[in-house]
Amino acid sequence: MSNRVAVIGVGMTKFMRRAKEAPGELAAEAVRMALEDAGLDLDDIEAVTLGTAPDAFDGIHMKGEHLIAGTGGANKPYMRHFIGGATGVMSPIHGWMHVASGKYNSCMVVAEEKMSPCSPHPAGAFLTIFDRVTEQPLELTLIHIFALEMARFMHVYGYSERDLAEVSAMIKRNALHHPAAQIAMDLSPDDILNSPVLSWPVKRFDISPTSDAAVAIVMVNERIARTLKKAPVFIEGVGFRLETAYWCARDLCYPDYVAMAARDAYRMAGVVNPARDIDFFEPYDPFDYKALHHLNALLLDKTGRTVKNLFESGNLTREGSHPMCPSGGALGVGNPIAATGLMKIAELYFQLSGQAGKRQIQRTLRRGVAQAWGDLMQAGTVVVMGADGASPVTSSRWNTMKREDLPGTPIKTVDEVPHTSDAPDLRYAWDNGFAISTYLDGLKKGKIRGSLDTRTNRMMVPARAFSEIADLAPVTGYYNLPDSGVVKTFTISHVNWDSSPLPEGKVNIFVVIALDGIDDDMGLVHKLGEVDPKDVKIGMPVKAVWKPESKRTGSILDIAYFAPLGNKKTRLDITQVKPVEVNALTMSQTPGKIPLSYRYTAGVGGARYYSDLARGKISGTYCAARDEVLLPPAMFDEVTLSLLDPEKDARAVNPGSGLIRSFTVVYEDRQGHLLAKEKVVVQVEFPGVSGSIFGLLELKNGERFGEGSPVMLVKPQKVDGPDAVIFALQGQ
Amino acid sequence: MGVALLGMGICGFTPTSTGLSYREMIAKAAKMAYRDAGVTIDQVDGAVSAEEDFPSGYSIADEYVPDQLGMVRKPVYTIPGDFLHAVASAAMQIETGRFDVLVVESYSKASNMLTKDEMVRFAYDPVFNRFGLSPHWLAGLELNAFLRESPYTLEEVAEVVVRNRAAAVANASAPYGDNFTIDDVLGARPVAAPLTELMFAQHADGAVIAVLGTDEAARKYAKNPVFFSGIGWGSGNSILERRDHSLSMGTAIAAERAYKEAGIASPSQEIDAFFVSDSYAHRQLMHLEALRVSGTDPRTINPNGGALGGGDLFEATGGVRLYEALAQLRGEAGRCQVKAERALVHAWRGVPTDSCVVAIVDKERRAQ
Repeated sequence: MSNRVAVIGVGMTKFMRRAKEAPGELAAEAVRMALEDAGLDLDDIEAVTLGTAPDAFDGIHMKGEHLIAGTGGANKPYMRHFIGGATGVMSPIHGWMHVASGKYNSCMVVAEEKMSPCSPHPAGAFLTIFDRVTEQPLELTLIHIFALEMARFMHVYGYSERDLAEVSAMIKRNALHHPAAQIAMDLSPDDILNSPVLSWPVKRFDISPTSDAAVAIVMVNERIARTLKKAPVFIEGVGFRLETAYWCARDLCYPDYVAMAARDAYRMAGVVNPARDIDFFEPYDPFDYKALHHLNALLLDKTGRTVKNLFESGNLTREGSHPMCPSGGALGVGNPIAATGLMKIAELYFQLSGQAGKRQIQRTLRRGVAQAWGDLMQAGTVVVMGADGASPVTSSRWNTMKREDLPGTPIKTVDEVPHTSDAPDLRYAWDNGFAISTYLDGLKKGKIRGSLDTRTNRMMVPARAFSEIADLAPVTGYYNLPDSGVVKTFTISHVNWDSSPLPEGKVNIFVVIALDGIDDDMGLVHKLGEVDPKDVKIGMPVKAVWKPESKRTGSILDIAYFAPLGNKKTRLDITQVKPVEVNALTMSQTPGKIPLSYRYTAGVGGARYYSDLARGKISGTYCAARDEVLLPPAMFDEVTLSLLDPEKDARAVNPGSGLIRSFTVVYEDRQGHLLAKEKVVVQVEFPGVSGSIFGLLELKNGERFGEGSPVMLVKPQKVDGPDAVIFALQGQ
Repeated sequence: MGVALLGMGICGFTPTSTGLSYREMIAKAAKMAYRDAGVTIDQVDGAVSAEEDFPSGYSIADEYVPDQLGMVRKPVYTIPGDFLHAVASAAMQIETGRFDVLVVESYSKASNMLTKDEMVRFAYDPVFNRFGLSPHWLAGLELNAFLRESPYTLEEVAEVVVRNRAAAVANASAPYGDNFTIDDVLGARPVAAPLTELMFAQHADGAVIAVLGTDEAARKYAKNPVFFSGIGWGSGNSILERRDHSLSMGTAIAAERAYKEAGIASPSQEIDAFFVSDSYAHRQLMHLEALRVSGTDPRTINPNGGALGGGDLFEATGGVRLYEALAQLRGEAGRCQVKAERALVHAWRGVPTDSCVVAIVDKERRAQ
């Protein structure tokens, strides 16, 4: 049976638009603080688990691997978990698994996000979350899908833009007393309503900012928690659910997946009636409507009446009966995706142990719930935590913590600090397979094709080879469907997929369309044309406008757009077709790429490294805990997670005293093409320091070298990346 | 621990797989796994997927997990790790006592990723060691460090290639079985000398699915389950400048934990077959050293041909090894069959990592 699991310490950096620190350094700052808060050393931590959202933000493939050292995971059991935006509340759930399983007594749970390297804007990373064949060609991004959901939510539950502006104002105000807060503000609903419209109904201040930050919590079993005499706050219930990726095949107004995750967590926690049994709520609020949208599900009320009443009666404020986002949420504290979720868990810990300072809810709290959301309107993670009669902490530094007390170094632009850049060439040709090849063949012929799921009698669009909701049952027939339908929801967008503004006066209208003649909840996303934006309405009949046959290529863009049908009649025939024959020509691929580039700060250690190199010098960083000088310069030591200062603790290393530790002769470039001339990579060690430097060995004709050969650093012309680190042989 | 492997399914493994989308490929493997485990989809409580984003080309690969497993609206999450990391996570989940049966999934459409070197290079630290060179550079440097610090010779590294690729000739699902000589391997085109083109695994497409459950669930549903007696995982230092490149600390940490759980004192005597990461030939030897089983009968090591013979399937690679171990323990490994009651399955995540998993799998549940 499960061991009980407690949170006994928290650390976090400031939430920042752009941090000087490298990703691992941000993590190290949070972990160091969490260790001190819990009164433990890194040696006391048996395992480490990391939550971080897409690699496309930090700009590092397998970034969980990259972050090992910074999280304290080096030479330990370490594992990363991932559910898109829902990751941050999965983090304590994964930590809970480590301890509740009895496998480990303690687990460091870290959430890190550095979104700022992604260029031109982190929003660009979201183009490639959409289905690459049926959706990506439309150039959608995250704001569009949020706007589509927000419009649907407002329509179904009767909220106005002003109502949602009030939610944003309340949450941003709550953040005024959060020490990590990036954009805590005291705004009026009018300020929010008057902020620029990005993709109606979404305005700038309806959205949380992009952020860099890390949060860490220490989780232990009950025995350790009691021994340490901390004020433990226990994990009482966990739940996590993932919906289908076919997001146009369901009504976005209510997140059933969140409600299901909440039910799982409540069952485990013994919560019968959440509105009665839970004292405060931290729903994920990347957009203002999302807080209410999620709260509906957390209160298991699809009618939305409970939340509407609480909202209208002012009871969602910190002073109200059901405080929502007392932390200040993603909208006010900031939204470094995974770290935001863990910040909400930290808020449950602070509130339930009396460490929330001026944010403290002024009554006895027994239980709180935090939730995160992610993927394509699809993932819900829920954690219920309880104080279990723990007496509130009377003296905690968290009660008086100020922004300047938290680690983290905000900067305005990458250009302020040493940096490097990269534009990875990530290209693909995706196999469409049988069902999608049949679907694309239909588009080329001017038809929208579905396949019939005979178990549920659903016509599935786009055509698929199996039923995702009925035991993977095979489909038996493919059909041409009507190319008309009704608008289920829409957004009027003023921005491109990469968040850049559209030309003045131009808008893109994205719509989710329920196709005629088939299930109401089965549709597709596309653009709307031939319409004045102000005339677009939910429920409006529309029909596909096809490109001329000669221009059609077998792509979703073969439909130029949908246009209002008006009073015109349209045919509603559904006819079975012969699917494509499988052969080497019909089985098509969709070409694609990840169109992002990155500008990375060198970090605190890297800044010292680059500035040394630029002067033809090398320094190490003295680490008192190990009594060693670390190379390359470091802001933290991965063995003890002591924080170091690569400037103050710098120790000069003679750049002419290197010895080759190991080497390789490389014949291919970064893409695997043959180099005109091979290059030598060397690992160079220096006497009296721990660590090494990797660089390229510059060879003159006839020079021989091997392990142990003495080398010297060559002063580079310019330091803009690792390729500038060049060594030459000594004494030949 | 009381976690069992009820059954598995695969689809593949082939250099390309044009006729199937990843969804269709996974659905096929899933149906095979559910049937093999003796469970219906509604008896499965949830899923854990092993995926990274860039191999699939989705920024959030996790989105596209539930549909083709029949796991829509169930508890599902992704471990950006090897298949065996996901197995380890699923096993923990079961050990909390709140889940009975879980499915673990991973797949590779490596053939769809056109710039694999560029992608692996993108895993290196951009500030300190992301050179404008083939990402194999670290493997070449590692190989040199290993040859210096260990008793092995380059010929013995080449022999790993010869053995594994020859073993794969008898393996129907391995695309790269072939008969090379040591001289062929040593004399092949250099990539990151002394590493040659034949010293690392080529990629393959395929899907791998495992159904895990409590021992009780195994007895209730499965005809031919096997049993996990220990699972450990560990990561070496991610700061390459301060990692010892002649050994695999990640493997040593993982093995220590797995052996302790399984009550194994002398691994080379107590384990009958070893399925060990050989994405680079020298890594097989390095891993065997860290597992404390060097010197065991080479016929018991990667008897199905390893990744050198079967292909590197990115995150799914450890799953292929688990599938091979399952077949061996069941006596279903055909011409690759060795005598095995207890198998060790290992995974390593490839350069630039030293993140590894070790699982001990038994034909029968043993008392400890």
